[in-house]
Amino acid sequence: MTSLSQPAVTPPSTSALPDPNGPELDPGASHGHGHGAHADHTMTGFVIFLASESLIFLALFVGYAVYKSSAPLWLPAGVEGLEVREPLINTVVLVSSSLVIWLAERALHRQRLGEFRAWWLLTMAMGTYFVVGQAIEWQHLSFGLASGVFGASFYLLTGFHGLHVVTGLALMAFLLVRSLRPGLVLPEGKGVLAVSLFWHFVDVIWVVLFVLTYVWQRR
Amino acid sequence: MASSTSSPSLDPRVLKEPLPMPGPQGNWRRYFTFNTDAKVIGIQYIAVALLFLLVGGLLAMIMRGELITPPADLVDPTVYNGLYTMHGTVMLFLFLFPVLNGFNNLLIPPMIGAPDMAFPRLNALAFWLFPVFGVILMASFLVPGGPSGSGWWAYPPLSTQNPLGHAINGQLLWILSVALSGVSSIMGAVNFCTTILRMRAPGMGLFKMPIFCWTALAAQLIQLMGLPVLTAGAAMLLFDLSFGTSFFKPEGGGDPMLYQHFFWFYSHPAVYVMALPIFGIFSELFPVYARKPLFGYKVVAIASFAITVLSLIVWVHHMFYSGTPQWMRNVFMVTTMLIAVPTGIKVFAWIATLWRGSIRLSTPMLFCLAGVFNFIFAGITGVMLATVPVDIHVGNTYFVVGHFHYIIFNMITFGVFAAIYHWFPKFTGRMYYESLGKLHFILTFIGSTLNFLPMHWAGLMGMPRRVASYDPEFATANVLASLGAFLLGVATIPFLLNLVSSLVRGPKAPPNPWNAIGLEWLLPSPPPAENFEDDVPTVISGPYGYGLGRPLVEDQERFERRALEA
Amino acid sequence: MTSTGRSQANRGPSLLLVAAGLGLDALASWTMAQQSYRWLPVQASTAAPYVDNLFALETGIGTFILVGCSAVIAWTLLFNRAPKYDLDDGDPIEGNLTLEIIWTVIPLLVVLAIAWHTIGINRTLATLGGKQRLATAAPLTSASLLATGSLPMAAGSLPIATDSEDVGPIQVIARQWSWEFIYPNGVRSSELHLPVDRQIYFRLISMDVLHGFYIPAFRLKQDLIPGSVIDYRLTPSRQGRYRLRDSMFSGGYFATNQTDVVVETGAEFEAWLAAAERAPLRPSFNAANEIWQQRLAEGNRGWATVPPAPPPEVNVSLDPQNSHEA
Ligand SMILES: [Cu+2]
Repeated sequence: MTSLSQPAVTPPSTSALPDPNGPELDPGASHGHGHGAHADHTMTGFVIFLASESLIFLALFVGYAVYKSSAPLWLPAGVEGLEVREPLINTVVLVSSSLVIWLAERALHRQRLGEFRAWWLLTMAMGTYFVVGQAIEWQHLSFGLASGVFGASFYLLTGFHGLHVVTGLALMAFLLVRSLRPGLVLPEGKGVLAVSLFWHFVDVIWVVLFVLTYVWQRR
Repeated sequence: MASSTSSPSLDPRVLKEPLPMPGPQGNWRRYFTFNTDAKVIGIQYIAVALLFLLVGGLLAMIMRGELITPPADLVDPTVYNGLYTMHGTVMLFLFLFPVLNGFNNLLIPPMIGAPDMAFPRLNALAFWLFPVFGVILMASFLVPGGPSGSGWWAYPPLSTQNPLGHAINGQLLWILSVALSGVSSIMGAVNFCTTILRMRAPGMGLFKMPIFCWTALAAQLIQLMGLPVLTAGAAMLLFDLSFGTSFFKPEGGGDPMLYQHFFWFYSHPAVYVMALPIFGIFSELFPVYARKPLFGYKVVAIASFAITVLSLIVWVHHMFYSGTPQWMRNVFMVTTMLIAVPTGIKVFAWIATLWRGSIRLSTPMLFCLAGVFNFIFAGITGVMLATVPVDIHVGNTYFVVGHFHYIIFNMITFGVFAAIYHWFPKFTGRMYYESLGKLHFILTFIGSTLNFLPMHWAGLMGMPRRVASYDPEFATANVLASLGAFLLGVATIPFLLNLVSSLVRGPKAPPNPWNAIGLEWLLPSPPPAENFEDDVPTVISGPYGYGLGRPLVEDQERFERRALEA
Repeated sequence: MTSTGRSQANRGPSLLLVAAGLGLDALASWTMAQQSYRWLPVQASTAAPYVDNLFALETGIGTFILVGCSAVIAWTLLFNRAPKYDLDDGDPIEGNLTLEIIWTVIPLLVVLAIAWHTIGINRTLATLGGKQRLATAAPLTSASLLATGSLPMAAGSLPIATDSEDVGPIQVIARQWSWEFIYPNGVRSSELHLPVDRQIYFRLISMDVLHGFYIPAFRLKQDLIPGSVIDYRLTPSRQGRYRLRDSMFSGGYFATNQTDVVVETGAEFEAWLAAAERAPLRPSFNAANEIWQQRLAEGNRGWATVPPAPPPEVNVSLDPQNSHEA
């Protein structure tokens, strides 16, 4: 979406025959032939999609804030609040993984495939640490999904975010496997760029979520 | 999954011959495949949507049969509730959204000179979700307890009552279906926006773009901003229904009002998602059939975005009588009434386009004219509904049903019919029969007026909407409405007859039968698979140059000749 | 060209034509505005005249716009039609900035004026009081409501009965599908009796799902929201028997969820209240229940619905035989 008034012209491709198997939104799709014209718009489409996706979280956050400040019943009986220490460590790990994935991106840009894989794996490890930490926290909570509007909101928010983290991890694993494929042409920018953007997005959402649910506990 | 049987070794050009449309010699099978060609997908959308128009219409006629007499004597009230819920859901999610996505697919790429959508596979995926959620919704007729009977708003706590206690129930299928429809719409919106923003022909700046593309962009922006909020609300509703949460149940501290905010934040603008493309269709067709440039093109284009912005800040007008505090009612009353300004600009521009034109009353033009007339009427009742005291009286009555159907049928669906007739030759390569089209128009206009005008009166007298039975004082209005509904049922006969017979044996259509200006009319009828392929014309002037004697593109004669020779 | 060249020469007659057209349009609008009162039920509350006057005003303005636009369209259809086989274009007019500004600014001013006027009416009517969310972990039950006055007072609620003439608060309890009214002296009825020309205070409570408290003759409606108590007030202004309808869809037998409002003189009201106090509690007539029993007798066919709540125990039941005015 660089300039709106000057249309980016579709460069005529040598073979305009639509490649029915040509990947579109698939991250990491390399276009050796034809159809590459369409793929140029992957990032545009992906950014539009992410902007839209962020509004689901915005809606859930607003709902949470409204309930938190207006519901006559909030914390279920016997629940004092949320433990912050472990989730805080989780948060630090997840947020720092944003830096790591940026390092991976840079390594790929400099055509250092090995270094890229190392940073990429580290990002995945940090993401996995977060998801596992979250699962452990869920197991030890004394309230459930049906424990009033607080329990429902907490699990919906963290669960929906967790789903995004898992999606990000799956995409990363997919790209990692692809990068092991012999005969790879570098740089395989598009997919990595998209996944890394997605990962930053997931991190930013988590920070807001963390502030809303763990930091803002007093009513 | 290539639809063609040619082996890959063939010259790819062979495939780019204009493919014949369904007919004895055509390869109609491609309409049943995962085809990534936007024009195939467009026709798939429109065909399936028209099928669901018949389903929704049938449900409506059973409802009107029930309502022709005051007592609930034709079907059980619970059945009536299911019928009206499904009628609304089918018409919105299985007819109007898909049919308009069909037009987006057919029109946007040729209009901007793009070979296809930006993401053809995503496009096909979005389409194939449509039959899936269509079948899921229809399947809810078969589950124990019947389909959802809580209205297309699905307001909790009614929608989460689940009387039979089954895990699989009509309401659950309803939520799944609507959620999948949302996913499909988001895929479509990403595709349409990217295509319009990034794939325009050389020289086609935003202000040289046809109005239809402007309105499509404005509408799809609403999808991108509104649908996520509905999705959040629907997810919470699903959890309340199936997993024992209490987001909207007062027992656990939840509040049913939050759902209404989520729902209307999307569902008011959703009406503009449907209305804006129709504004685009009116803006395309009036210049063609009045032989004049669109009056005030730039203002009409920008007004689309004014509508988008305003539509996102009016939703509370659906909650004026729900305990909304006074200051909020006043604020949302003003924002709602402001929408009259950009829509007014468009209406006046259309009328000014007619002024001193050279008007041809063909079927599409008749539908446009009647659609605009109905829209002015509906706009006026809309402003009435925006003013709080009037809304307090007529809100949730048949006045709203009448107003809504004036928008959704008498304006939007009229626009859909106009578009079908207008672009029928372009995308099928066949002319339609004008006399059958006019018959369809006359029956539709009389039927819809008879159906929806008396509803306003019933509402003013205090008849609540969604009732299966009513007090005898409302009988006259309801008899008229029912007769109108049956007439609308009759009106589909010449329509379908026209479509089918024109497809099979209509006269061959030339590339530009209406002598219209626009990139799509520089293509053969039907256009080849990738439209202009790699020879995209360079646009040198704005659209609608009727009577101005200026060419639209460089080398216009060459493109016209090429289309004729194809 | 069908119509070029006949514009500048004869300005005078065309101006006259426009003036005559506008005059006729204004006349039509005035007539429609007067007519609009006849499309509405009788005015039985102090709010009704405000609503009807506003509606008439909007009908008038709306008619002016609709007739004006239609007249111009009709004019073009009469005089700007292309003859058959004529392929000429119309006048290539691309726009007119002055006109575009006019039809942006005038509608803007008109809607802002209507909005301003309406905000004033809203302030005058002010029927809605406070809304109090109930802090209860258990669903509301009839038992928890039985003790009158056990409900928490709404924060920021209307000043209840400051004037000794005022009546209330009357508790309005909606269920799937019945109405129950509990008067301050404990009388329960399923038919709403109100004294004329007195301000009445209500507390609206829903026991299950959303309902709507709607009396068309009063031109007033207010939703009942489960989990909240809503304060409401109105002043009936005309004696008679009117319909009270559930206006917010409440499921299964929603359409049957209506009862009568009887507006009577103060003396009649007091007499009714006193008689009602002596009457024993008995189950009210309940249309939903009748249909449900019939459905069960016929083998419980139809689609899923919750069964109707048991008819409320009341001192005075509504009588389905009575005919209402509006
Ligand atoms: Cu709305």
